[in-house]
Amino acid sequence: MSDTTTAEERKVQHVQHHFVDGEQQFETAKLGMWVFLVTEILFFGGLFAAYIVYRSWYPELYTMASTELDTFWGTVNTIVLIGSSLTVAMAIRSAQLNQIKGLIYNLYITIGLACTFMVIKYFEYAHKFEIGILPGRHYTYEGIAHEKANIFFSIYYMMTGLHGIHVIIGIGLMIWLVVKAKRNIFHSEYYTPVEITGLYWHLVDIIWIFLFPLLYLID
Amino acid sequence: MSGHHISSAKFLWIIATSLFFLTFVTVAVTWINIPEPWNVVMAIAIACVKATLVLAFFMNLYWDSRFNTMLFIASIMFFFILIGITLLDTLFRVDPVPSF
Repeated sequence: MSDTTTAEERKVQHVQHHFVDGEQQFETAKLGMWVFLVTEILFFGGLFAAYIVYRSWYPELYTMASTELDTFWGTVNTIVLIGSSLTVAMAIRSAQLNQIKGLIYNLYITIGLACTFMVIKYFEYAHKFEIGILPGRHYTYEGIAHEKANIFFSIYYMMTGLHGIHVIIGIGLMIWLVVKAKRNIFHSEYYTPVEITGLYWHLVDIIWIFLFPLLYLID
Repeated sequence: MSGHHISSAKFLWIIATSLFFLTFVTVAVTWINIPEPWNVVMAIAIACVKATLVLAFFMNLYWDSRFNTMLFIASIMFFFILIGITLLDTLFRVDPVPSF
């Protein structure tokens, strides 16, 4: 008897008093996340605009400078990020089905893939720093015969750097979700943080889907 | 919350496999040399298809409230306004930016 009461209570205890029910609370949170994602798109939009303006001014610079980027590792990172999007989608599915173990495992794989992405990015950056490809006026590399070569790499560092910061924040959010899931907070009626972090993670994936061909594949 | 759409594991794998395949395609088209504007058009077109797959089936816009889709489309429209008006200036300058 008392068991059923707690199960019933558990279904509604996450619902805050100013919402009609859990469904309304869920939809409201998701709407709020979409509004945030809109600001994220416009945030990155400014950088894409800079990319487009400079590419229209110096198209030959982009094809020359892009040869310094390693297509192989760019492709690997794309596959790693798409894989992590899949595991996030799987994590949400597990939560919807009340499979908390599956949720935690999928989050672990996602964190692992996100870290893989950052490690590859680290080696890419480290190699460039070593040969003097630094942003802006710190640029000392001689290998590209174009006086504006530093501009391409300033844009490269801004776009991939901001994206990398988003990946790191994503890793932090996933760890937070694992902690919550281990405390047994999520169940099929309440998994809003998983859903919303998932939306964020998929957007980070989409940004990379555009960054990859625009930066790595133009040579 | 019985109304939520739950994708099957198989379906999610199909979407991910399509995304892997399109990643391969977008790399593969750089091996054959497509002439200038069309290589960029191709790359962007493939990226748009991939983004649409993620938006519709990973972010669940396909099953979601249409209002969220509208928000997303609005953000893309404003992004195009940003690019459009900026290019109206920068494409038609006699002398591009002097110092950087």
